[in-house]
Amino acid sequence: MSTYGHLDTDAHDVDPPGPDTRSARPAPASRTVLLRRATAPVALTAVMFLLAFTLGSTTLVTMQEVLAFAVFATATNLLLGQAGLVSFGQAVFFGIGSYTVALGWLHWQLPFWATFVLAPFVGALVAIPIGLVALRARKLYFALSTLAFSELAYQLAESRYNFTKGANGVFGPFVPTALTQPRTGYLFLLAVTVVSLLLLWKVNHSPFGLVLRAIRENRERVQALGVNVYLHQVAAFVISGAFCALAGAMFVIYSQSGYPELLDWTTSGWPVFMAVIGGMGTFLGPALGALIYQFGHDQLVLYFSDWQLVLGAVLLVIVMFWPDGLMGALARLGGVIRRWWKGRR
Amino acid sequence: MSDETAHDILLSARGLVRDFGPFRAVDGVDLDVRSGTIHSVIGPNGAGKTTLFRLLTGILRPTAGSLEFAGEQLAGRPTHVVARRGIVQAFQTTSIFPRLTAHESVCAALVSKHRRSRDLITWFHRGLAGEASQVLETVGLSDVADEQARALSHGDQRALEVALALAMSPRLLLLDEPTAGMSPFESHKMVQLVQRLAKEEQLTVILSEHDMDTVFGISDRVSVMHQGRVLADGPAPEVRRNADVMAIYLGSEA
Ligand SMILES: Nc1ncnc2c1ncn2[C@@H]1O[C@H](COP(=O)(O)OP(=O)(O)O)[C@@H](O)[C@H]1O
Ligand SMILES: [Mg+2]
Repeated sequence: MSTYGHLDTDAHDVDPPGPDTRSARPAPASRTVLLRRATAPVALTAVMFLLAFTLGSTTLVTMQEVLAFAVFATATNLLLGQAGLVSFGQAVFFGIGSYTVALGWLHWQLPFWATFVLAPFVGALVAIPIGLVALRARKLYFALSTLAFSELAYQLAESRYNFTKGANGVFGPFVPTALTQPRTGYLFLLAVTVVSLLLLWKVNHSPFGLVLRAIRENRERVQALGVNVYLHQVAAFVISGAFCALAGAMFVIYSQSGYPELLDWTTSGWPVFMAVIGGMGTFLGPALGALIYQFGHDQLVLYFSDWQLVLGAVLLVIVMFWPDGLMGALARLGGVIRRWWKGRR
Repeated sequence: MSDETAHDILLSARGLVRDFGPFRAVDGVDLDVRSGTIHSVIGPNGAGKTTLFRLLTGILRPTAGSLEFAGEQLAGRPTHVVARRGIVQAFQTTSIFPRLTAHESVCAALVSKHRRSRDLITWFHRGLAGEASQVLETVGLSDVADEQARALSHGDQRALEVALALAMSPRLLLLDEPTAGMSPFESHKMVQLVQRLAKEEQLTVILSEHDMDTVFGISDRVSVMHQGRVLADGPAPEVRRNADVMAIYLGSEA
């Protein structure tokens, strides 16, 4: 019944052994592999850059929203895909990022650039206590408590009229005029997105990232290997919170306002949807999900009055048939094509 | 007898008790494990071997009793602290990382050992690839290093389980039924591995096992458990000669 794996000498023929396979592993550090791996992201960035000069203003503005959500979804996926933590409370940090910019201007006349840089730090700071509390619970209870924090943040923002302007939100000319131009705004957000994703990608491939994945796979085992699981999860929560807050600050360039709905649990649901659609198990999946969700959502609203129902059905199908989302399906398709191409040559 | 005094006592448990509700799974166990020996704990299913192991590694808190390891009191300390002190377990129910490759799994253990788990910047296998390959080589998994753990054969998964523990460079390695569910061939390889580790790496090993021939073949000392208590304890040949023990063990096994 059991296959003897390495004991069966014939088994090697599929994948030729020898110095190649062995030296291939430490390779990500080697230059050629690094270059090959960098091709796709660099090409993608170049295409995104060129879009700034080909797309119309309306689409560029939608793309600004997409970029903010790409960072939001990728940051959320550090918890979801990497650490295996389902959080329905990331909007708390997204909203805090937006409010940092808006309220900094409203109360203290802080310049946009200062608050934009400050936002991720505020997000991280708030994520510490929330993470410490929410991560005391597991799985469903963790998800529920993050949801509760999201609702709490929403209620606070709505009820403290003197500080937050309540349900109306904060509107004003706090975004520098240069960035209110669709193209400059888009290019600035693109730059921030590229840097953010690079940093998050680095975290994914770091020792910390590996330990997070190991915790996702088998928490007790990691504990038995001498790791304080709780503290590592809190750290992941804080990092995610920081980038979600940055995404919120990015969103302000698009919305030019901060309002309570940015904090509530429906907003928390967006990045989770995006990650599921694009593929939680892949790094760029959530960003792809953001693109599809944003444009797909506009189409859905046009054709279906019950668009949320349609969205729910789409999600169900994806979770059941493509657990790695669209990105996973694309990767498999790419594999098939590559094999077919090799076979032809 | 002479070599008994030659070994220091590495781990010493006194009066370990563990209750599950009204049920006493471990009932006042004393255990002395000498440095550099293979010490086996045998006993029929339900004797309390696994529970005892979980007490030693801190996964469970003892209801009562003390646990001294290399001069330090460890009873009631959390698992990750116990693991840091050098007590590492390979689990009876294979407990691996299904969607990580064998190489990544061992790297995760190495990251923990070298206290690099807070490193957010470097590549995870930076400086670990060589050590990881060595560990995989030791347990005979070099050829499947890049396979996901869930795709490995049962025997290889057991070997990976041991590799995870070995990667921690333990001072005391706990193996809970390492040959459970293995084919005779796989199980023979595992036994050889354990013997080699004890001899070459000077590892101290506590082993639980239900196959008597395996146990007496490789153990320096044996403790016999039954219904949560240690009935007999001593050098392997002596315990083997103890007719009462054999009767109880074989009797309840039948
Ligand atoms: N978590 C638990 N809750 C309740 N009873 C348990 C638990 N773990 C073990 N037991 C009981 O303790 C006894 C000893 O089990 P165990 O330590 O697994 O024995 P062994 O490993 O020797 O087969 C068994 O009767 C088992 O049912
Ligand atoms: Mg057992």
